[in-house]
Amino acid sequence: MKNIRLAPIYIALIVLAAISVVPFIWMLSTSFKHGHDVYTKVPSLLPLDRKTGEWAPTLENYEYVFDLRGLGTAFVNSVWVCLILIPAKLLIDALAAYSFARIPFPGRDKLFVLMLGGMMVPTITLLVPRVFVTQELGLFDSQWGLIVPNIASVLDIFLLRQFFMSLPGELEEAARIDGAGRMQIFWRIIVPLSKPVLSVVTITSFIFHWNDLVWPLVVLNDPEKYTLPLALQQLATAEAGRSYYIMAGAAVAVIPVIAVLLIFQRRILQGIAFSGLKS
Amino acid sequence: MANPVLADRSTATPDKPGRRPRPGFGRRDHVVGWLLLAPALVYFVAFLLYPAIAALYYSFTDWNLRSSPSWVGLANYTDLLFDDVKYPHFWKSVQVSLLYTLVAVPLTLVAALGQALLINAIRKGSNLFRLLLFLPVVTAEAAVGAIWRWLYDPQYGLINIILGWFGVPPQNWLNNPDLVIPALAFISAWQCGISMIIYLAGLKGIPDSLREAAVIDGAGPVQRFRKVVLPMLRPTTFYLLVTGVIAALQVFGLVYVIFSAANKSVTGGPEQAGLTYVLHLYLFAFRYDAMGAACAMSFILLVFIMIITALQFKFVKQEAA
Repeated sequence: MKNIRLAPIYIALIVLAAISVVPFIWMLSTSFKHGHDVYTKVPSLLPLDRKTGEWAPTLENYEYVFDLRGLGTAFVNSVWVCLILIPAKLLIDALAAYSFARIPFPGRDKLFVLMLGGMMVPTITLLVPRVFVTQELGLFDSQWGLIVPNIASVLDIFLLRQFFMSLPGELEEAARIDGAGRMQIFWRIIVPLSKPVLSVVTITSFIFHWNDLVWPLVVLNDPEKYTLPLALQQLATAEAGRSYYIMAGAAVAVIPVIAVLLIFQRRILQGIAFSGLKS
Repeated sequence: MANPVLADRSTATPDKPGRRPRPGFGRRDHVVGWLLLAPALVYFVAFLLYPAIAALYYSFTDWNLRSSPSWVGLANYTDLLFDDVKYPHFWKSVQVSLLYTLVAVPLTLVAALGQALLINAIRKGSNLFRLLLFLPVVTAEAAVGAIWRWLYDPQYGLINIILGWFGVPPQNWLNNPDLVIPALAFISAWQCGISMIIYLAGLKGIPDSLREAAVIDGAGPVQRFRKVVLPMLRPTTFYLLVTGVIAALQVFGLVYVIFSAANKSVTGGPEQAGLTYVLHLYLFAFRYDAMGAACAMSFILLVFIMIITALQFKFVKQEAA
């Protein structure tokens, strides 16, 4: 009886999930098709030969975009930038958050409110002067220009601070009595206790910076330094009309993030409710 | 925070010989606090505080990245607002962004609430559906733009093919000025996963007793939804509305990818139907080299967002009163 009542709900959910997922399946299937098998009147979700209808997948689109359209270089660049940026950012944010949460010094809370106020300014308002600062620092058109201007995040400091403040103080007090200094307490007590929130911040930072298009777009000129989103955007412009190449490029950009989502789904979906993926 | 109890304890415990007494962390603690904060503080000053002030200053200047800025007073603002020879598309871009916000935000919220209600109604498989509906959110805008340009392809796009099964003639979604905004709004609704997750949290927060009371009072599902669920979700809806409007007014990356791919040179789509405000701002800053005007545009947007947000808060307060 109950199952029958739930049936329409499941049907609706399956339809919605299909709308959500089919674009990705379509992307993948297009990316594995030979160019001449893509433009057909009857869509095929599988890479089939247009004439014979036989199974005919190919990797040549991936080879083409990787070798000749710079997606390979861009992939390496993206990995490289994230590998430096994310740990550095995590450390800077966590240290600042610890200071805000636990070390009482004069003016601390006013400074914190000022920082939160700064978060309210739309990033687009800051875009032009940020590019100018990046240029003045000599980081324009370099990978460091992607890293340094993103090296901390007020939102992440805020999230970490809230979590640190919720930790029980007894352990720290005990360590303090045993003669531990601030840094020892931070590394031995705060960091191990904060793994859940640290991983949420790491994952959301990765997703955000891996996907970011706007900042690389305004800071980079040299195609050798492009990250994946920018290389994909260029590919989509240069190869407009050859959707099999573009979809192969899109798949390269999308698959690592989807893998991260599948692996860390619980953390991400919990974390999202309060961090909103920086949007 | 100074902890008197702890300070007492640490002085009461006799220190071992050879060890300095350690009341709390001592005076140097302030210094440590500042040191730990220093990198973040440098970032904050260099990439938030200074840019915010600089943007305001530059908005009163005539400036490109090669020359030094020269003061022009309010000229950027008045020219943008009133000189339709110098800035012919300013009001068009305002109109495009407002229209997009007006269509995309409600559509996205309705989609998110619908998905959340459905998922909340089931037990088995709810995690799977939540995950599948969340996929579009983590996808890079560059990829989203590329994928949807292909889906919207007038001849071979999956959307026209599927609509064709229901007898709908093929549409040129991204090249028909009337269809650009609906097409973009649909993508926004497709990416409603974050709002869906937040609505789900809101739904979980509704006490069962309320629902049960409504059932006992003989309320049907529609009535329960209107009289219990919707009012209880009002704070969630309000939060999502405010953040959604702020985000929609700033939409940029997606339109940039979609319309730059279509035309090679970015123009904002057919008859500028996709020339959103921030795309226009970007073009001023990085294509036409008019940094001063771009900064002025960004402050007009900032003020506009503040006004809209204040109005939304006021409206909700009145409703509550």
